[in-house]
Amino acid sequence: MTRATFALIAVLLVAGAAQARNVDLVTLPPRDTVQLTIYNSEDLTLVRETRSITFKKGINRIEFSWANTLIDPTSAYFRPLEHENEIEVLDTTFPADRPQVLIWNVDSKFEGQVKVEVSYFTSGISWNADYVMITDADETKATLDGYVTVVNNSGEDYEGAQVRLVVGVVNLVEKIARLAQAGFPMNTTEEALDESKSEVSKLKSNLMRGALALADRSAGAANGRKQAAPPKIVKEGLSEYFIFTVEGQQTVKNQWSQRMVSFRTRDVPFEILYRYRPHQYGPKPVRFFILANDVEHKMGESPLPDGVIRVFRENGRDGLSFFTAQAAKYIPIKEKIELNVGQDNQIVYERVVLDLARQNFTYEETVRPKPPVVGWDETRKWQEEIRNYRAKPIKMEVRHVLAGDVEFSMQAPALKLYDFHTPEYVLEVGAGQKQKWMSEGTFHLGQNQKQDRVRLAGQ
Amino acid sequence: MHNKRWLVAMALAAALVALAQPAAARIKLATLPARERVEIQLENENATLVEEERIVTLLKGTNHIDFSWTNTQIDKWTILFRPLAVADTVRVINQSYPPGENALVWEVFADKAGPVKVRISYIIGNLRRSFSYRATAEPDEKTLTLRNYMKVQNFSGEEFGVSSVYAGFAGVFQKEMGLAESKEMLVAKFDTVPIKKKFVFNWRTGQVVPDEPNQRYVTMHYVLKNEKPQGAAAPAKGEAPTILGTYPLPFGKVRIFLKKVEADKSVNEAFMGEDWGQFTPIDDEMKLFLGLARDVKVERTVKKNERTDIHGNLFNQEVIVQYKMQNFKKEACTLDIEEDMNELRNEFCGGPKDHEASWELLGQTTDKTRVERKSAQKIEIHVPLAAGPKEGDKKPDEVIFLLHVLFKSEW
Repeated sequence: MTRATFALIAVLLVAGAAQARNVDLVTLPPRDTVQLTIYNSEDLTLVRETRSITFKKGINRIEFSWANTLIDPTSAYFRPLEHENEIEVLDTTFPADRPQVLIWNVDSKFEGQVKVEVSYFTSGISWNADYVMITDADETKATLDGYVTVVNNSGEDYEGAQVRLVVGVVNLVEKIARLAQAGFPMNTTEEALDESKSEVSKLKSNLMRGALALADRSAGAANGRKQAAPPKIVKEGLSEYFIFTVEGQQTVKNQWSQRMVSFRTRDVPFEILYRYRPHQYGPKPVRFFILANDVEHKMGESPLPDGVIRVFRENGRDGLSFFTAQAAKYIPIKEKIELNVGQDNQIVYERVVLDLARQNFTYEETVRPKPPVVGWDETRKWQEEIRNYRAKPIKMEVRHVLAGDVEFSMQAPALKLYDFHTPEYVLEVGAGQKQKWMSEGTFHLGQNQKQDRVRLAGQ
Repeated sequence: MHNKRWLVAMALAAALVALAQPAAARIKLATLPARERVEIQLENENATLVEEERIVTLLKGTNHIDFSWTNTQIDKWTILFRPLAVADTVRVINQSYPPGENALVWEVFADKAGPVKVRISYIIGNLRRSFSYRATAEPDEKTLTLRNYMKVQNFSGEEFGVSSVYAGFAGVFQKEMGLAESKEMLVAKFDTVPIKKKFVFNWRTGQVVPDEPNQRYVTMHYVLKNEKPQGAAAPAKGEAPTILGTYPLPFGKVRIFLKKVEADKSVNEAFMGEDWGQFTPIDDEMKLFLGLARDVKVERTVKKNERTDIHGNLFNQEVIVQYKMQNFKKEACTLDIEEDMNELRNEFCGGPKDHEASWELLGQTTDKTRVERKSAQKIEIHVPLAAGPKEGDKKPDEVIFLLHVLFKSEW
């Protein structure tokens, strides 16, 4: 807590409602524990901190301030963790003359030290995932390491914090950063005022409850020991979300980022598949590494959050080659992972129209003396050739997009329709081999077009 | 290895790395382990990977290793730290990125004190490579010697001492990569590469001959094929290739020279021209445009253009195009006439259409076997032209080739 002027102040003076005063006598109870539950889908972090406060019987005035931080004042919540039935918050005041301060008036029937919890939402803390995959030189197996990086720009240092990372998309009706900038809970913008206030309040209350429930899960014992191994990150599911809990305590200083290992896997098998989809990947085939987030691939413990996957290869000379950095979407358990590692100069694919002929003409006979052609069929013959200069066989999946009413035929195994206008087939070529295939399409054009779909011959 | 602009530093905080203050206030007491080895990987044309090995001396327990850089474009999210040959006795606990600095700090735990070799990899900007070629043809223009060069430009802001530089093919080069330095290195040399000298006539892309509306200049090309010579063995792994057909030739400028034997028997080289050599996969041809061949004359005229109505507005169009050629050179050559059948159809059937040309060759074509169908729309006619007559005043014979085409079912 070196940078931000964040303080929880137990005011021992008896006071009624908050009133103008310039002189206070305060004690400053330190944080006992702090826990961060960080969401990656929104700029949202739930902070729960515990402190010990000595209460006297009667009204206790407790001041909470958060200068130069990004806390949403509407979310600040105070609750005793002991003597719950004897301690009650009577009201919360946001003094007009002091920004980023609130005062709780707490009625206590108990006298003595009590552990209390203060929780609030803050913006400015985020986390993200990234992955590093390193294949062996033969490109059959890989190591895959997952990382999580916590970025703290909240204005506050969090030392010795338990860190929980939530994988999931939560709904927010107002951005925490905007609420933090608003300063006072009543300083809402016009657009916010248009929303149903009760609805907003209800949703926010639900969100806080949900966040607290998530934070309560898997609360491991924090300790201040020096770590001799990377902290384990425990993954567990809750409803539609997943929580990654970082073992032990972490110090997340303001403006620092911290990257930790989320998982490590070794000898992960993967397949190589080439894809030719000019409409999607450009004019040349691209190479994919295909694996899955499942047990067979030594994963499947949790979903893989959105993040960049960087792919390298052991180059056989005690070094690495860099393939690609690809932004991967959230990958559920058992879902396929497809990594586009780019074009491969050792594979050549060519498709050329070798022949073209027209027939079956239809005319608009009402137009004289020369009825115009209004419909016809056109037959195209394509030749596809793959040259494989690699020392192992390859598979290439081709999607051939054809517009209109088309009959398509090809002698290719696994010929099928990907969608109504896209035949899909897989071509295989041996190591160091060249191979050609012929295909044919008859397009019904003009008034001869009765459909908008491709039909595979014989189907 | 490092001059005064030494920029990438890795500091092992032997005693203290005070991380509690903002970046500017970090207090460091550091040892500076030198680079033991650097490898610059240029295989990926979009991203250059630098790998460096250093020996860091670790204390037993927790160590902080500080890696920082200035004036270099290192992608900090790509930095990898890998201890070598220590199994699991050295473990990276986490890595932190201090604010406002190009730096990161690894927290590393060692089971025992001692030196450890580590490898650090990162993607760096402004360290790029490009390729070029020098082709020297023999006087008979039947073969040439092709040299493939790689130029590495180091504007990364960092000086690398003797480094292993790898282009993704050929061998590994041990080169010093100084700051702001460009270095060109010979990647491969191919001797006795067969070439075809190609003369091309293209009505649509050829340069117009002044005052001759039916003529276009013929262009001259060298064509070499990136294929392995029969019976040749592939080079051993890691060695520079000496034969073509072992790797795709990368894009780059090709400067072409022709050897010339002077009267005193000395050999000189004449510059013939230059062209961009396109990326050429194995078994494909690299076609290099040298200049105009003005000693081969071609006149194109249309001898027939007749329409036959079929029904309604549907018709067939019969066209005969005549190419009249003369070779004024002392050597025989083959002229390649390129035609785009869509363009030819548009010329006679009323301009561009929304459908492609459907066509067939008809009987008056001079020699159908000389018409190579490259695709449904592209043809190439190969016409041999004898050498010009040696007699003083005798003009070369005129060679006529007729292309007789029926464009079918047009409207």
